[in-house]
Amino acid sequence: MVDAAQERQTHLLYDAKGEPTTDRPWIFRTYSGHSSARASNALYRSNLTAGQTGLSIAFDLPTQTGYSSDHPLAAPEVGKVGVPINSLDDFHVLFDQIPLEEMNTSMTINGTAMWLLSLYVALARERGDDVSKLQGTTQNDIVKEYLARGTYIFPPEPSFRMIAEMYEYCLDAVPKWNPSNICSYHLQEAGATPAQELAFALADAIGVLDVIRERGHVPEDRFESAIARVSFFVNSGIRFVEEMCKMRAFTEMWDEITSQRYGAKDPRTRLFRYGVQVNSLGLTEQQPENNAWRIILETLGVTLSRNARCRALQLPAWNEALSLPRPWDQQWALRLQQILAYETDLLEYPDIFDGAPVIESKVEDLKRQTREELARIDGMGGVRAAVESGYMKGQLVRSMSERMSRINNGEQIVVGVNRWTEAIESPLLKDAEGGIFVINEDDVRETVSALEATKARRDPARAQAALAALEAAARDGSNMMEPSIECALARVTTGEWADTLRKVFGEYRPPTGVEGQRLFLDGDRIDRLRERCEDFSRRNGHRPRIVVGKPGLDGHSNGAEVIAVAARHSGFDVIYSGIRLTPQEIVHSAVEEAADIIGVSILSGSHLALAQQIMDELKRAGADRHIPVIFGGIIPKQDHAALKDMGIARVFTPSDFDLADVVGAMLDVIEQQPVGA
Amino acid sequence: MTQTASALDALVERALDLDKWAVARLVRLFEDTRHEAIAQRVEVIEALEARGRPPRAFIAGLTGTPGAGKSTLVGEIGARLIQRSETRAVAALAIDPTSQRSGGAILGDRTRVRFPTEERRLYFRSQASERNLGGIGRNTYPVVRLLERLFDIVLIETVGIGQSEIEVEQVSDRVYLVLQPMGGDQIQFMKAGIMEVPDVFVLNKADAGAAARRTYHTLRSSIDFARPGETEPPQIIQTSAITGAGLDELVDDMEQHIDTRRSASRRARYFLEKWIDDEYGRLGLQLLEQQGGADALLSSNGTFEAAQAAYRPPVAAR
Repeated sequence: MVDAAQERQTHLLYDAKGEPTTDRPWIFRTYSGHSSARASNALYRSNLTAGQTGLSIAFDLPTQTGYSSDHPLAAPEVGKVGVPINSLDDFHVLFDQIPLEEMNTSMTINGTAMWLLSLYVALARERGDDVSKLQGTTQNDIVKEYLARGTYIFPPEPSFRMIAEMYEYCLDAVPKWNPSNICSYHLQEAGATPAQELAFALADAIGVLDVIRERGHVPEDRFESAIARVSFFVNSGIRFVEEMCKMRAFTEMWDEITSQRYGAKDPRTRLFRYGVQVNSLGLTEQQPENNAWRIILETLGVTLSRNARCRALQLPAWNEALSLPRPWDQQWALRLQQILAYETDLLEYPDIFDGAPVIESKVEDLKRQTREELARIDGMGGVRAAVESGYMKGQLVRSMSERMSRINNGEQIVVGVNRWTEAIESPLLKDAEGGIFVINEDDVRETVSALEATKARRDPARAQAALAALEAAARDGSNMMEPSIECALARVTTGEWADTLRKVFGEYRPPTGVEGQRLFLDGDRIDRLRERCEDFSRRNGHRPRIVVGKPGLDGHSNGAEVIAVAARHSGFDVIYSGIRLTPQEIVHSAVEEAADIIGVSILSGSHLALAQQIMDELKRAGADRHIPVIFGGIIPKQDHAALKDMGIARVFTPSDFDLADVVGAMLDVIEQQPVGA
Repeated sequence: MTQTASALDALVERALDLDKWAVARLVRLFEDTRHEAIAQRVEVIEALEARGRPPRAFIAGLTGTPGAGKSTLVGEIGARLIQRSETRAVAALAIDPTSQRSGGAILGDRTRVRFPTEERRLYFRSQASERNLGGIGRNTYPVVRLLERLFDIVLIETVGIGQSEIEVEQVSDRVYLVLQPMGGDQIQFMKAGIMEVPDVFVLNKADAGAAARRTYHTLRSSIDFARPGETEPPQIIQTSAITGAGLDELVDDMEQHIDTRRSASRRARYFLEKWIDDEYGRLGLQLLEQQGGADALLSSNGTFEAAQAAYRPPVAAR
């Protein structure tokens, strides 16, 4: 017991009773899920045994974009980047022997967030758990889907309505649930500077709260409870001092916004609650073992400052630029968190930066830039207007282009990429699978047959009635949560739920941000590329024409966009046909446009299946010997030969970061092709 | 590129069957900037004439402010036009701006237009403006010359509105100006030049509620002010791609005017002179006069392409 007269020591932490104490660590998470509900359940249970303290569920792309596993667009993606969920039966398997009431479950789900929360509530009801005790987060941030991640379905207005309805529903029914999680994470991955990350994320949060307030379903005296449920998901990059300052700026500005704009009084309401995944963008394919050090440094940015420390942390695996991580890679990442929290003295101190003048000045500078950007967005009419006009996307594409330009011309040093590139080969890449995770095709069959079994077993009248009630609610503007929960209980499938709402709301295609962008690559090499393009035009009567597209459901469009901008900058005519395309659509574009080359961007791991489909389609159109195809993305070296055998002319990976080289190689491929009329 | 006559003939044959790859390759020939391509275009036009395929398409020009939703409308209209008839074929030509610095272009309209890939009766093509002013590209008219013989309706989507967006009027039979809800001052600003051009005003995104209604009324009074004394003041069609409102009305308007063709000879003269001006400048135009002028060159050679082939350019330029 500390004597009341004894002076407290500044470097110690005290609890409520005045006893010296240490902080509890943040929640350790590993973003995981793959193959099937059964395989993912086994993984979660083993992670929990290994000391993980929360679940972070990765869903596969069909689940994220509202397609059941038997849909043609879904076929190459089932179980690839996460777990496939088709109905409540899959959820029963996924959470088997995992205590729901004790679990903090984070779901990375957006376009179909309402559906997955409904499944979770329905699961608790069927298992006899207390729904009001459920804890966790549905990511449910549609703005960053439009801007960066790509798994949106509906236009902004109905999307914001669904987010608001989830807040309204959870307020009483699931009070500990975070209905949405504002993500600045993906904005940084898409190129955002720290000030852009701050401003865009805060504008997004303001957009959500404004909608909830305007709708008026949350009583005024309980609005603070809605504010308190807004949480954030933040990125942490390699400039870790600036990142730490960014987190302090976030914390201070959120306090300011919630009190000034919304009149929140309780300091706990105004807390900036956030989870982190550290940066993946900066992880390199070259000398991938160096990524382990990068991840440690990035972790410091979000843990060092107690006032701005994250609530939950998940780390990417060191080999993420090469392939999806294996269990061992994830375990290695988890061990870093455990060492930092339990071996070091980090959690013993109050904030170690309070009063530091350099930090304060840096934080103020970031806040000033953020306020300016927020005022600009406000002037446009808020976040929805700034999304629909393409302003925000355009700013991100520009920042990304500038970043790529700086790396290209050596202004920004990336070890192993543009400096110190000679290295001894890593022994970590020499094991049996070559450091690569491979999915078992049997799991896909298991998922599809489970879906068929669910449909065969259910009461069709109940399912139809549930869907009709959902459609009616969507049309008349009433809350869609209960109708969605009834859909879940009636064994409606993910595809049926989303199709019903697609019928009412339509599908959305946001601005691409590619138009009007410039790339700062000026110099002799670009001049030479432009001369080559002019020379090509003189000899062939038209500029080199490329169709750039992204097949499948993966929506990370940054790579495709940067290539599109670089090619245009060099003098190509670029037909940018966007994301979520079928192989048929990409080939169809190239044929109608008489393209000289097709450039395909793939990150989902489905490159082999997609290559085959694209080459088959080209053959069917009679253009297979006329239009060469190149692939770019996260494509393991082992698969390059197979792709070449199928007829893919070139394969580019993240190590081909030099855009002038890439465009030059595209011209080489075109010139090698026999020219047709 | 040097195609034998029989290869060209086979390509024409397949294009008449609306084979996409064949149509696409012929469009490439009609965009070809090399002088030797002209002779091949003459051959293609002759081959089409020989098969009884004169120009027949109704050409609708869609112009309007950037972001007004022209591409989305083109997609919706195209799909409806072919649904209404079992034989009708529709081509869309969308023009995007070329970068002044690099000469390259991003042609992004396909992201908003989704025609079913198996439907032969719909053809979509993007085109770069190639630093041409006036809202359409240097190659727009030559390509329209081909498409109007292969399709029943050609939709042209211009770059976006500017002060000099008048060429769409030269190339099309009917001009649709697509606008989105906006402030009254913006309408005042536009009034100057562009208000006189369109045959029909399309107020898109009419689902935007009060803003759309305000724009409609301001626009109505501005048109009446800018175009006094017209016996039939132009219609304003309010459309929404989300709710589908007004789309059928817009398609009705096209169908009603499907036989309204503007003078083909005037059009050919305009674009022949423009081509000579682009390629050879003032000296070229002087030589054209010495060779009897555009009308004489066109009538003695029959077609635009043959007139291009017959024109004798300044020697130094070649």
